[in-house]
Amino acid sequence: MAKELQTVAYLFASILFILSLSGLASQTTAKRGVLYGIAGMIIAVVATVFGQEVQGHIFILTAILIASVIGVVLARKVEMTAMPQLVAILHSFVGLAAVLVGIGSYLDHAEFSSNAAQTIHFVEVYVGMFIGAVTFTGSIVAWGKLEGKIASKPWNFNGLKTLNLTVFIFISILGILFCSQGIMPGGLIIGMMSFLSCFLGVSLVMAIGGGDMPVVVSMLNSYSGWAAAAAGFMLSNDLLIVTGALVGSSGAILSIHMCEAMNRSFLSVIFASSAAKPQSGLKVAIEGEVTAVDHETVVANLKMAKSVVIVPGYGMAVAKAQYPIYQLTQLLRDQGKQVRFAIHPVAGRLPGHMNVLLAEANVPYDIVCDMNEINQDITTTDLVMVLGANDVVNPSAQHDPSSSIFGMPVIEAWKAKQVVVMKRSMNAGYSGEDNPLFYKPNVSMLYGDAKLSVEQLNIIYNR
Amino acid sequence: MKIGIPSEATPNEKRVAGTPLTVERLRKQGFEVCIESNAGIRAGYTNDNYIAAGAEVLDSVQDLYGQSDIILKVKEPTLAEVDQMKPNTVLICYLRPAQNELLLERLNNQYVSAFAVDAIPRITRAQKMDVLSSMANVAGYRAVIESAFHFGRFLNGQITAAGKVEPAKVLVIGAGVAGLAAIGAANSLGAIVRAFDTRKEVAEQITSMGAQFLTVDINEDGATSTGYSKQMSEEFIKAEMQLFLEQAKEVDIVITTAQIPGRQAPRLWLDYHVAAMKAGSVIVDLAAETGGNCQLTRNGEVYTTDNGVTILGKVNQLPRQASQLYGTNLCNLLDDLGKADQFKIDMQDLIVSQAMVTHQGKINWPPPPIAVTQTITNTKETPRTDNQHVQEKKEALEASKKLKSTLVSLVFMAALLFIVGQTAPQEFIQHFTVFVLAVFVGWQVIHNVSHALHTPLMAVTNAISGIIVIGGLLQTKNEINHLLTYLSFTAILVASINIVGGFVVSYRMLKMFKK
Repeated sequence: MAKELQTVAYLFASILFILSLSGLASQTTAKRGVLYGIAGMIIAVVATVFGQEVQGHIFILTAILIASVIGVVLARKVEMTAMPQLVAILHSFVGLAAVLVGIGSYLDHAEFSSNAAQTIHFVEVYVGMFIGAVTFTGSIVAWGKLEGKIASKPWNFNGLKTLNLTVFIFISILGILFCSQGIMPGGLIIGMMSFLSCFLGVSLVMAIGGGDMPVVVSMLNSYSGWAAAAAGFMLSNDLLIVTGALVGSSGAILSIHMCEAMNRSFLSVIFASSAAKPQSGLKVAIEGEVTAVDHETVVANLKMAKSVVIVPGYGMAVAKAQYPIYQLTQLLRDQGKQVRFAIHPVAGRLPGHMNVLLAEANVPYDIVCDMNEINQDITTTDLVMVLGANDVVNPSAQHDPSSSIFGMPVIEAWKAKQVVVMKRSMNAGYSGEDNPLFYKPNVSMLYGDAKLSVEQLNIIYNR
Repeated sequence: MKIGIPSEATPNEKRVAGTPLTVERLRKQGFEVCIESNAGIRAGYTNDNYIAAGAEVLDSVQDLYGQSDIILKVKEPTLAEVDQMKPNTVLICYLRPAQNELLLERLNNQYVSAFAVDAIPRITRAQKMDVLSSMANVAGYRAVIESAFHFGRFLNGQITAAGKVEPAKVLVIGAGVAGLAAIGAANSLGAIVRAFDTRKEVAEQITSMGAQFLTVDINEDGATSTGYSKQMSEEFIKAEMQLFLEQAKEVDIVITTAQIPGRQAPRLWLDYHVAAMKAGSVIVDLAAETGGNCQLTRNGEVYTTDNGVTILGKVNQLPRQASQLYGTNLCNLLDDLGKADQFKIDMQDLIVSQAMVTHQGKINWPPPPIAVTQTITNTKETPRTDNQHVQEKKEALEASKKLKSTLVSLVFMAALLFIVGQTAPQEFIQHFTVFVLAVFVGWQVIHNVSHALHTPLMAVTNAISGIIVIGGLLQTKNEINHLLTYLSFTAILVASINIVGGFVVSYRMLKMFKK
């Protein structure tokens, strides 16, 4: 394929990628968005493979075939609840690929036209490999935490920040040595750098608690984009640059949006200083008693209620309670009751996690509302069912300046006429904060596994 | 301060601006109350009732006007009545200021502060004094009761030993307060209720009251910032007429409530609609006073057409109930004006500035415009309160801060670009340009993605970031034993897993999203 033809094919692929991302902005066009993305990818790969400089077609074909089989199997087999893990591990693949491409690009480069060109090339290789390596190990740690193989508690000690900073400075010094050439063998330097970057990836993500995982995953997504863009600079490939930059910046803005929703500063999350730091001010004492109820009472309340709001959280995902809760929703809706789901922007372990799970259970998306829509008329709601959520309904966020989540927008469940909290135990949520909601007079607790509890409710309701 | 309640001069006006209950409340607010003898008699309240509630009953209306600082009335005063008012009297009643220019002038000459209850803005804070809603509520209810009276059958469906009775079908046009009240009343009597409104947002309210929402297949929303509906396009009206014609053949009772403030009521039910209706059907036209929604309505009359359709151009006001509601609205209003002790007319107040049509020798009509902000998802109006001003100022301050930080970063960026331009080779700069532009595009494209789609979006961007496969493709060598072949083989492998896996999984997720 002629060079010119390849360039326009790349241009077309870039357009498709942009359309793909913008298509994903709303439900109605989202599927189309995915198709655009697939088309763009196919065009890009085909245009590259048939380019003049490409060799070893047989290896390429083999690799793609094997990968396609693995990819399809992986993506089909995975449970919707395990979606965050899959996305995280896929990010690590991009990181790994970026490192490998970086090494290749270092070993196999064209003649440089000038000294400046050479330096720039080395900077590109170095930066690309650095981002790639951080993404690689960071994503693996994120995967481990989401999968539960690594404790989700933030791994933190006093000198951690200093250590990270030292490592980063060391990497930068190595980078200067690498670009100036000759003082040390380049291969050794990039070896050391890869190792240090891998360490940095681990320590950065290890220090972030489970509650902030959505932001981390989205941040790693952004990193993988920047890694691709860096690879594009090394190889002078505009398509890589454009696509990498698209992914990188969209991932970054997504993370920022999420941080806003959690009332967290973006920098404090990515630099792992997000561990709860108690602020000055007196802790507001929790008053009242916890009232436990049984399933019969909850059903009686449900029967009397005209409007019901369900607030799902990670507990629902863990227990896979989305199916029985939808059955319950249908039962209620058949009797003309208004049932809505209230989704907090950071409920679950991935942004939009709850929406995906509810969609899996066929819950129509027009009864799935976001926090603000629900908060507007929460006071006229008869019954709020909190299903495995905790921090997102914690009134401390509004009333207790000493709380670590103070200032985070929450679903104001306590303002409803009645609240039932379905929970396994009185344990605290991810933030580790006690929840005064449970002690309010209009709130009662239904202990037990979310799924079994809801199934029980369905049985009693049908009686 | 003394409040005076005269009887209504208009012969068919049966309501009164105060009932014994509201008089009691006015007294608690610190007012003295006097009422014209027999003012409440048509609403079912006797002089004795008022005396028991603590009001002074005056035989002469001149005395009443002479003594009172505040006059509460229902209908607008006649010119003769205005002449009896002393200067600086506060008059609170219906004034229809848009149609009554002459009256406003007279009131102004008399130096009366006239408060038009029908000009109270429809904001949340004013709901407790919204007499239009109270009266519409009564009218809607009464429309159903009277139509049931004129309709010769049951409203609900029954299966009896004497045979099966079909439920009556009721069509309500216009789902304002009156319409919704009518839907509720008809529904509770067991009729099948359908309702039509040009404002799409009321669909939910209609269904919540138990009616079926009818609509035409043209995407045009009649909602306006005033909460009333606007006039629709010709195409829309044509489709609407067609829909009504189909309904006319089916329904037994039609209740029309469509009104546009300050204008003639829209003609919605035309002669051919009436002609298409079954004999024995009933039409209640609640807009009869402003010209009628039905072409054949005769204002203030009840008659039966040649094809046996009864058309009601008036409904009973339910004066006892309506007076109570109206009086309570006025009490709430006086609460807002500071009761007797701190009675104050504050022209800065939003409600006062809109409804006080004459004050201290000035005519304040039409009032200063307000924008009633409407949330998209919710039909409730958001109040535009006084602290919105503060909010706006804050926003302006923030905007200027933002501008500053944007300027600073622009200067910084320019400096950075200058350095790059000085040192880097041409080729790099080209790539760099592409890079920066792509960053901006990514930023803009993602800005307003809905929360629900974050996970699929991430899966797709993840798949797209697998584009790094191209790096591997470009580096593969023909020789199998070349180090680069190994490296790039692995790179292609993992990147492609990412691409395929990412796309498949996002497609899987999106397939599940359904309405």
